[in-house]
Amino acid sequence: MMSEAPAQTSAPALAVDGLVVRYGGVTALRGLDLELGAGEIVGLIGPNGAGKSTTLHAIMGAVPAHAGEIRLAGKSLRGRAPEAIARSGIALVPEGRRIFAELTVDENLRLGLSGRRTRDGGEEAVERVHEMFPILRDFRRRHAGTLSGGQQQQLAIGRALVAAPDVLLLDEPSLGLAPKIVDVVFDALGEIRRRGISVLLVEQRAQRTVAFADRTYLLANGEVRLTLTPADAGDTDAMVHAYLS
Amino acid sequence: MRRLDPWLQLAAPVLLVVATAIVGSFTARATEIYFLTAITSVAIVVAIYVFVGNSGVLSFGQISFVAVGAFAAGVMTVPLDSKQGVLPDLFPLLRDHTIGDVSSLALAAVVGAVFAFLVGIPLMRLSGLAAGIATFAVLEITHNLLREWTKIGPGATTLALVPETTDLTRAAIGTVVVIAAAFAYQRSRFGRSLRATREDAAAAQAVGIDVHRQRLWAFTLSGALAGLAGGLYVHMLGSITADQVYLELTFVTLAMLVIGGITSLWGAVVGALAVSGLDSFLSEAEQGVGVGAATIDLPQGARLVTLGTLMALVLVLRPSGLTGGREFRLPRPPRRRVAAADGASKEAAREPV
Repeated sequence: MMSEAPAQTSAPALAVDGLVVRYGGVTALRGLDLELGAGEIVGLIGPNGAGKSTTLHAIMGAVPAHAGEIRLAGKSLRGRAPEAIARSGIALVPEGRRIFAELTVDENLRLGLSGRRTRDGGEEAVERVHEMFPILRDFRRRHAGTLSGGQQQQLAIGRALVAAPDVLLLDEPSLGLAPKIVDVVFDALGEIRRRGISVLLVEQRAQRTVAFADRTYLLANGEVRLTLTPADAGDTDAMVHAYLS
Repeated sequence: MRRLDPWLQLAAPVLLVVATAIVGSFTARATEIYFLTAITSVAIVVAIYVFVGNSGVLSFGQISFVAVGAFAAGVMTVPLDSKQGVLPDLFPLLRDHTIGDVSSLALAAVVGAVFAFLVGIPLMRLSGLAAGIATFAVLEITHNLLREWTKIGPGATTLALVPETTDLTRAAIGTVVVIAAAFAYQRSRFGRSLRATREDAAAAQAVGIDVHRQRLWAFTLSGALAGLAGGLYVHMLGSITADQVYLELTFVTLAMLVIGGITSLWGAVVGALAVSGLDSFLSEAEQGVGVGAATIDLPQGARLVTLGTLMALVLVLRPSGLTGGREFRLPRPPRRRVAAADGASKEAAREPV
């Protein structure tokens, strides 16, 4: 049972309005708009270079926004340091896991507590992650670098969850994993959905994401080309057309 | 056994320092100074390790904190009747007061910490080459202030008449305190956070770690421990000049850390003791030393050439140092290899996800 319920506000959990990001002379995002409701899972798919990861990096403050607004439960995130954003109720599971390989599994997990908005409840949060991913309890004294890819992905998700975020951003969590392990990751996302956490999921597995998410945005060339619902998961023609456009 | 690991990681370097002190106590008076120097070097190198090893940010400036600690402890323990004669230009607060040698060690630590904290506020925003150059600038500024400003010290002359109270026992106790502080720090939440920033600063920020703040805490603690080590150093020598806590000491102590293994406390201690032993032998050899029937007589400068070559070789052949950059642990029996014989993949040989 979820004990750390997300904050109840009338504003969307996360709102991105007219976001523009440039890398030098190259525009990566061209006025991106998207919205994530409380407890919703929203997918973000698209070809390489579409701006999916840039969107997550801009939300987390890792790259500066040239224009536009990012609001978490109605509060602007613009101009805030990445660590301050991470402590305001939003957590990122980065592409390639980026766990701290030389630290133990337990140390990695507890570093996630740095993102909590309150000092209380840390042990309970770790325990809930252990219930979701028992392997992290079994291997808690191992160096994280010795885990398999799937185990590292579970650790990266667990590290984000102990911060008790209202919004969870995942950047290609199935990248480089065997199909059986991808199922484990999507099962975990299902459990996260049941806990009422809002999720913005960047993925390359387009059909599976469209079928799984409440709503999916298809990005191309830095802007939203298509908004899809689970009913569109079989409409590969529309997706292929948008990918190639 | 794994539960004992943390205590072994503390006990091993402590025992090594205590053993060095015990062996040193059985040697002739002329040789004892080498053991004293080795133990004091451990304190300095561990102080450097606290920041450089845990943060991964190279600093050439930590000897500045050794220097201010040494001069603070030295100036404040010169006997009052002598001080007004040999250091007449000091600020009245420094000239007209004196403190005990144990208190002077605490003062050295406080002065080192405050100096490091103030310097660290702007500098800890830097990384890589910029951090290295900026900390080198701090070393240069500190050296010139100590060398030229006679309101705070003897200037270009020698600070003499400092009580020689750092014997083997006190050096070992002081160094064990430094090791214990470094160990407690690296086991703490702050130490873990800093090591996470060493591995991946962007990922650490993404989990809510304030990189600047974590580096600043470590820099300040490193400054405090370096100041304390500077206090031990000046009370070992009985006199000091600004040149003794400058470039050569910076080079030698960084060489000790690199050779031992920059990312572990065990590496810092092993490197400091191993290189101190070699350094002492080379110092003697520059004056001519008998080894069995032969006499080794090295030209002046051979000592630093040898240490530099050794450091370069370690960086090329074993970048993680003599200890592999790992903490001490007892050897374990090899694990049974699972499913290796039937050609199963490495992934399959692991436990299921």
